[in-house]
Amino acid sequence: MSNILTMNNIQKSFGELEVIKDISVSIKKGDVLSIIGPSGGGKSTLLRCAAMLETINGGSILYGDKKAAWTEDNGKVVYAKGKDMKEIKNYFGLVFQNFNLFPHFSVLKNITDAPLRMQKRNKDEVMSEAEVLLDKMGLKEKAGAYPYQLSGGQQQRVAIARALALKPQILFFDEPTSALDPELTAEVLRVIRQLAEENMTMAIVTHEMNFARLVSDHLIFIDGGVIVEQGSPDAVLGNPQMERTKAFLNKLEQ
Amino acid sequence: MELQTMVTMLAEGFLKSVAIFSLTLLGSLPLGLLVAFGRMSKFKPLQWIVKFYISVMRGTPLMLQLMVVFFGPHYLLGIQTGSNYRFVAVIIGFVLNYAAYFAEIYRGGIESMSVGQYEAAEIMGYSKAHTFVRIILPQVIKRILPSITNEMITLVKDTSLAFAISYAEMFTLAKKIASSQSTLMPFVIAGVFYFIFNYVVAFIMERVEKKMSYYR
Repeated sequence: MSNILTMNNIQKSFGELEVIKDISVSIKKGDVLSIIGPSGGGKSTLLRCAAMLETINGGSILYGDKKAAWTEDNGKVVYAKGKDMKEIKNYFGLVFQNFNLFPHFSVLKNITDAPLRMQKRNKDEVMSEAEVLLDKMGLKEKAGAYPYQLSGGQQQRVAIARALALKPQILFFDEPTSALDPELTAEVLRVIRQLAEENMTMAIVTHEMNFARLVSDHLIFIDGGVIVEQGSPDAVLGNPQMERTKAFLNKLEQ
Repeated sequence: MELQTMVTMLAEGFLKSVAIFSLTLLGSLPLGLLVAFGRMSKFKPLQWIVKFYISVMRGTPLMLQLMVVFFGPHYLLGIQTGSNYRFVAVIIGFVLNYAAYFAEIYRGGIESMSVGQYEAAEIMGYSKAHTFVRIILPQVIKRILPSITNEMITLVKDTSLAFAISYAEMFTLAKKIASSQSTLMPFVIAGVFYFIFNYVVAFIMERVEKKMSYYR
């Protein structure tokens, strides 16, 4: 199967601080990748680089066979422009830790506004798809509600529906449950799991180890701006080889 | 002079005050947004120029600014100004002054928006213009509404400063009548007019705020 996303030798610094030193990772169609590791290790930054919210300082990013960013011989990073970039941005969606719903839009409008306004798709089609998505998220009766009227878990499910409405090839999750109570976490994880069963391609930054083990095909442990260990979730979580991985997992169990 | 005559005269002046108020808002609310963009521009020279403009507008009396706008063309540039320039000068002076204040209010509102709103819009494929007009600005307007109301109420009272260049709005007339008739009555009437005007402004703005309270 072909790669949806390929990131090679990614480097990213904020000023003097080198957050990502050299990370290469790829995701095949239908796969779920979990990214774990301590805070400040670079895992969210990696995801944000993939989503073009951060510009990389080195390396290359490919979506399918389309070059999104690459490093030229002189070391300068170049990004795709114009129509190419627009096409690439249609490839992925992102679900944020704190939802970032548009508070002045109703739930339904949050989901349909971008497909209607920016993708200029057929209204009836967008509306009926939105209904299906809301139903799937268990939020059918909340279509007319505003984000402030929803619980965190409901808001996050709206955010997932909103991302899916744009029909991305791959969906990124940046710590999707870190702002939620355990109880609300469960309902969001259930939705993500359902997406995994439907073979949605996803990359998830998470602190939920049990969840990662359950849904992902591949797992990487990032610390200090590099991949310390990677493999199947059972192997990395059940039988870690590296000291740093062991230390991190031990700390979580305490 | 009869009270009724006085009220009629002042009512005429009142209409002119309302005209100053309306045209000032019409000009300064959009101009203020442009000024705010300039103030937040990454292009430093533009940012400095706008900063200087704002500090002059806020740092000197509006009365003095009106005089400069009115007399400036003649004394500084030797231009012969027409008879209706008095009113034009009032509007130019007020618009330039209020745009500076509004610009800072807009800037405060825009800068209070979370980065997440921009990022979500970007991820979802909104263009920069769409992001601002559809996502950011509506939320900014809701946030800055109380400050805008404040400025509007100040503006109602500030229209009286047009007396500095003898434009015949309500306050100028009140002063004229008061000195010619040796009575305080015109000031009392003008005061009532200003108060009612502001009461209406506050009432309308409260309705607008309520209308925007369907979300948080």
